[in-house]
Amino acid sequence: MGYSSSLIQRKFKDIVGRRYESVLKEYSEFLLTEEEMLIPEVRSILIPLDLFVHDISDEAIDVLSTYNATISLAYITDARVIELLEQALDHASTEEFRAKKEEYGRELLERTAAKLKGHGITTQTRMFVGHKGDDVVRMAKNYDLVALCRRYADGESTDVSISPTVLRICQRVATPALIY
Amino acid sequence: MEIVALIAVAVFLFTYALIIDERIHRAVAAMLGAAIVVFLGVVSWEGLLQHIDFGTIFLLMGMMIIVNTARGSGLFEYIAIRTTKLAKGSPIRVLILFALVTAVVSAFLDNVTTVLLLTPMLLYVSKVMKLNPVPFLVTEIFASNIGGAATLIGDPPNIMIASSAGLTFNEFLIHLGPIMVVNMVILIGLMYLIYGRSMKVDPGEREEMVRTLNSLDERAAITDRALFRKSVIVIALVVLLFFIHDRIGEILHTFLPFVDPAMGLQPAEVALIGAAILLVWSRQPPEEIFEKIEWPALFFFGGLFVIVGALVETGVIASIASVMVENVGSTGEAMFIVTWFAAIASAIVDNIPLTAAMIPLIHDLGATMDVYPLWWALALGACLGGNGTIIGASANVVVIGIAEREGISITFIDFLKIGMLVLFVTVAVGLGMLWMTFVV
Repeated sequence: MGYSSSLIQRKFKDIVGRRYESVLKEYSEFLLTEEEMLIPEVRSILIPLDLFVHDISDEAIDVLSTYNATISLAYITDARVIELLEQALDHASTEEFRAKKEEYGRELLERTAAKLKGHGITTQTRMFVGHKGDDVVRMAKNYDLVALCRRYADGESTDVSISPTVLRICQRVATPALIY
Repeated sequence: MEIVALIAVAVFLFTYALIIDERIHRAVAAMLGAAIVVFLGVVSWEGLLQHIDFGTIFLLMGMMIIVNTARGSGLFEYIAIRTTKLAKGSPIRVLILFALVTAVVSAFLDNVTTVLLLTPMLLYVSKVMKLNPVPFLVTEIFASNIGGAATLIGDPPNIMIASSAGLTFNEFLIHLGPIMVVNMVILIGLMYLIYGRSMKVDPGEREEMVRTLNSLDERAAITDRALFRKSVIVIALVVLLFFIHDRIGEILHTFLPFVDPAMGLQPAEVALIGAAILLVWSRQPPEEIFEKIEWPALFFFGGLFVIVGALVETGVIASIASVMVENVGSTGEAMFIVTWFAAIASAIVDNIPLTAAMIPLIHDLGATMDVYPLWWALALGACLGGNGTIIGASANVVVIGIAEREGISITFIDFLKIGMLVLFVTVAVGLGMLWMTFVV
């Protein structure tokens, strides 16, 4: 740094103090950052589903349909629940539980895919037993956007807060995430 | 020269050197200089109180309270976004509108706050337009210095001159206002000639750019709607009071007969009254607002007044004045010398100590000539001289400092080339207009 530059920075610090940082903070509330200014190209979207996601809202579909992307619907049954059941129940009861959950999952996938198709959106579906948080984070790397229901992996609570698993996924994924 | 006079000169020059270099905070440098002259008995306690211009300090303090209270409402961000949207994606319109807004806001509020709040928006706009931000930034600097020179409260040298010479807000507006309007037209013309060709936006991207800029929501910038409204009203009231501060008694007497019609308010009183009204009305926590007062700046002024007071008490200023009187034949000649000396010196060194030293000198010249035109010559030179170099004025340092932090380089020489052109043209035009008023 030359003398002129260091002189300017010394004078700037003496004249302005910490005011510039607070001005920047105020502006950041409503000005887009350089990254936000770029319109991302979204060709593939991942939507994880589970027992607690009953539907995709019309508002979410309106937003998702603007991307003209393929949506992958993934129904995930919690591997830990299956593990616990295997330890507590006999094999037949566990299989019966799993079959019921799979049937629910298939119905949800079909219903959701049909709803999205009705809006002209191409979909792919898959169902597996896994970890609702880790597996979504892993899969998200192959998609341009992840759309998460606020109820995903939450339980049947009636409050409007966002599920802790959804928040953790948002913190860990590099892919943009949309919560509906 | 007596030993005390030598000490006073040495302390003044030593402090000036510290202020220029800024390795020690300028407020600390000024306080150190003041401490030396007080400790050595060059300035007595009574003299210290007499030399500190409380009119200047209280006016600055009052305006700092008003500006810092208003800032919390998002008022300045609102102005910046509205200006951006008015430009409708045209780079030339952005340049002109931001220059005008900067000049007008700088005329009524301090230049540092004005550029500090408008520069991030200008950088954002130039980023969206994919244009070099330098033309916008340098125009903003010049506009701030020109706008600040137009009024009594726009620039510290004007505040100091008004407080010491007892000049009114309207006198500044009458004598310097038209000069600065003409200079703004010249500035915009110059900037257009220099940068106009390079400020082209790709027509294919223009629509998307306008959409991005129009998506800015000025209402989102307003963080406190009630405070926003109250700030606008109080600032308007303060500006109105500045217009009538010298004949407030005359006006009040018609409604309140007990008020002395000869009563007038000092500009500092107006600023403090405005600050009190805004604090009471807005119910903002006073501790937070008082914390935001730029105390270092106020102590800087206080220290300088004492150091310059030492030059006055030891007769140094009177000696320089007598040399000037012997060599200067007329008021016109003195105007010429004061203007150009103040302008060129202000481009190189801080114009606040320079003005502080020039004020007693002009007072001393008053014994032999009409010094009224010299106050305007000093204000013109000290304010517009700041355009000459990147360290000429606080606004320059703030804008260039922000630019450097954002990775935009404006070198000393690059700025000097344009700055000196603007300095010479605007000072020459200003001096010409003052000459027409007072000499011809």
